[in-house]
Amino acid sequence: MSQWLNEVIESASATSDFLAPFRKQALSSLEQAGWPGRRNEAWRFTPLTSLEKREVKHVQQAASAQPPSIEGLSAFELVFVDGKLATDTSQLATPEGVTIASFDQLDDTQKQAASEVFGQIKPARHIFGLVNDIASTQGIFIDVADGVQMDQVIRVANLVTQDVDAHTRILVRVGKGASAKIFEHAEGTVASMSTAFSEYAIAEKGHLEHYRFAMMTGQAKQIGGTHFQLGDESTLNSTVVGYGSELSRLDVDIIHAGEHADAKMNAVYLLAEGELFDLHSNIEHTVPNGTTEENARGIVGDRARAVFNGRIHIHRDAQNTLAELNNRNLLLSRRGIINTKPELEIYADDVKCAHGATVAEIDEEALFYLLTRGVNRSKALVMLNFGFIQELVNKMPDAAIRQWLLPKLNDRFAQMEVK
Amino acid sequence: MLKINNLHASVEDKSIIHGLEMEVKPGEVHAIMGPNGAGKSTLGYVLSGRDGYEVTEGSVELDGADLLDMEVEERAQAGLFLAFQYPVEIPGVSNMEFMKESVNAIREHQGKEPLSAAEFLKKAKAAAKQVQLPLDFLKRGVNEGFSGGEKKRNEIMQMILIEPRVAILDESDSGLDVDALQVVADGVNSQRDGERSFIVVTHYQRLLDYIKPDFVHILADGKIVKSGDASLAHEVEKSGYSFLGKKYEEAEA
Repeated sequence: MSQWLNEVIESASATSDFLAPFRKQALSSLEQAGWPGRRNEAWRFTPLTSLEKREVKHVQQAASAQPPSIEGLSAFELVFVDGKLATDTSQLATPEGVTIASFDQLDDTQKQAASEVFGQIKPARHIFGLVNDIASTQGIFIDVADGVQMDQVIRVANLVTQDVDAHTRILVRVGKGASAKIFEHAEGTVASMSTAFSEYAIAEKGHLEHYRFAMMTGQAKQIGGTHFQLGDESTLNSTVVGYGSELSRLDVDIIHAGEHADAKMNAVYLLAEGELFDLHSNIEHTVPNGTTEENARGIVGDRARAVFNGRIHIHRDAQNTLAELNNRNLLLSRRGIINTKPELEIYADDVKCAHGATVAEIDEEALFYLLTRGVNRSKALVMLNFGFIQELVNKMPDAAIRQWLLPKLNDRFAQMEVK
Repeated sequence: MLKINNLHASVEDKSIIHGLEMEVKPGEVHAIMGPNGAGKSTLGYVLSGRDGYEVTEGSVELDGADLLDMEVEERAQAGLFLAFQYPVEIPGVSNMEFMKESVNAIREHQGKEPLSAAEFLKKAKAAAKQVQLPLDFLKRGVNEGFSGGEKKRNEIMQMILIEPRVAILDESDSGLDVDALQVVADGVNSQRDGERSFIVVTHYQRLLDYIKPDFVHILADGKIVKSGDASLAHEVEKSGYSFLGKKYEEAEA
């Protein structure tokens, strides 16, 4: 056990909302789980030593903060500041059939619906998921009723402005044949510790366009998860953007619970000097006829470390599955580190499954080509490396988010040195 | 304009070019023909400064400046252009961004103001039209998913935008049908202004029906073994490289 975890458990034990029975259960799992050390495979490359001795910090003085504005983005904006929901969700003019409400504003039916998602999709034993279970008193429930098509994006920003422990949760139901766009956006640089987990239940023929931008940097520690459960013929298109920080970890689970579901995920990470980012991806095909295509690409700067764990698990009954996972990495420095690990577990015999992982330095042939056109070497390197991730960013469906993101990534990249 | 004196070059310690002499004056078109393995592509790479292509002896001057002393990008900025036999695909870098960067880097070297986005777009559109590439190819990744012929046309489009002093066309005809060949040749011919020079490297005489050379050189065993006017190309077409000796007859069979 760590001092930090003990304190989290202590300060969470007083909670008594509608999720209390679930939290209690999580607490007992947590007490049995124990603190993951370096010998724990899931945390082998991501040391938690800096967190172990942390003292839990509560908000001393409420701060206000606004998420970066995104030109042309039509969105419902929800903001957590230092772990507290700063938006009065009762004031949101949501369209008919759409619920966006904080945990403390749910009616009994909504509480029931939220309970059916809480803790049901994310893996049961993820220690920080359990921490979030017991401590996430601040949360949002989003429900898009059957057949409702939401054009507007729902952006949930998670901002950290002071040294605090913040635990936030998002629970989402996308109804039958409904569609939604949800954007989880985290930013902050100050020393702090956040856990942010979200669970999405997508019903039959439902569609979710999803973004998770884990853009906390510096000393802002962030550990989170995004977990999707796909119903029959549902579709998911998700984009993950990761910056590194002192400690940054994201777990993504895509669970095919219904047949003929289609999941696409693109992830890009861009790690500046000394940063750490760990992306654990888990794709579960439990039923037949599902398709998943995932591409993760990262650029790792000087003395930075990227960890990518890509697991594909095709269960015995999941015949006719098509699953592809590709991870490509680019090292800008010999002192950067990339730990990429494929994990294929295939128990069905009629499946197509591909997994590729590469770590490369600069493509010399492409560089030579650019140079022969008179492009200066430093600029050519920027174009080549950035092109590598831009290719995925260009596939993001929302033009406004894309156009906001590209120059941000470009600036970040321009400050990274090739050594 | 371009003077190659006693050039010796090797790749991975294997000597490929030994004792090549050539002088290209403003406005001239020189064709270099030769059997496979003669060092034709190597010459283009050596002149453009590719890593791993080591010059062991000799000199190359471009407008009086020591070309071999320059970095790859400096050679391009000084006016050297190489149209690749196998252009590289670079997904994620748009053709347009790439060319704008290229043109403006060269302009900067020449002490000219960079082109504005609008000015550049206008030029790029005209160049694309000239080589019959659809406009959306400008937005696509460099050569990404282009057919062989489209890649070759893209090379010529780049040449038109860059306006080099000397352009080396490395087998720009390979893999092209007659229509595409015509487009490539028209693109090249449109750039012949009495000042700009060309070195057309080709395996076949065919391209030279479209781009009329002033001189034809036969490259074999890393040096020029025979030079002449356009009629030399026809001779090669008729009787192959047999005059070079037995060694090359098989290769050309």
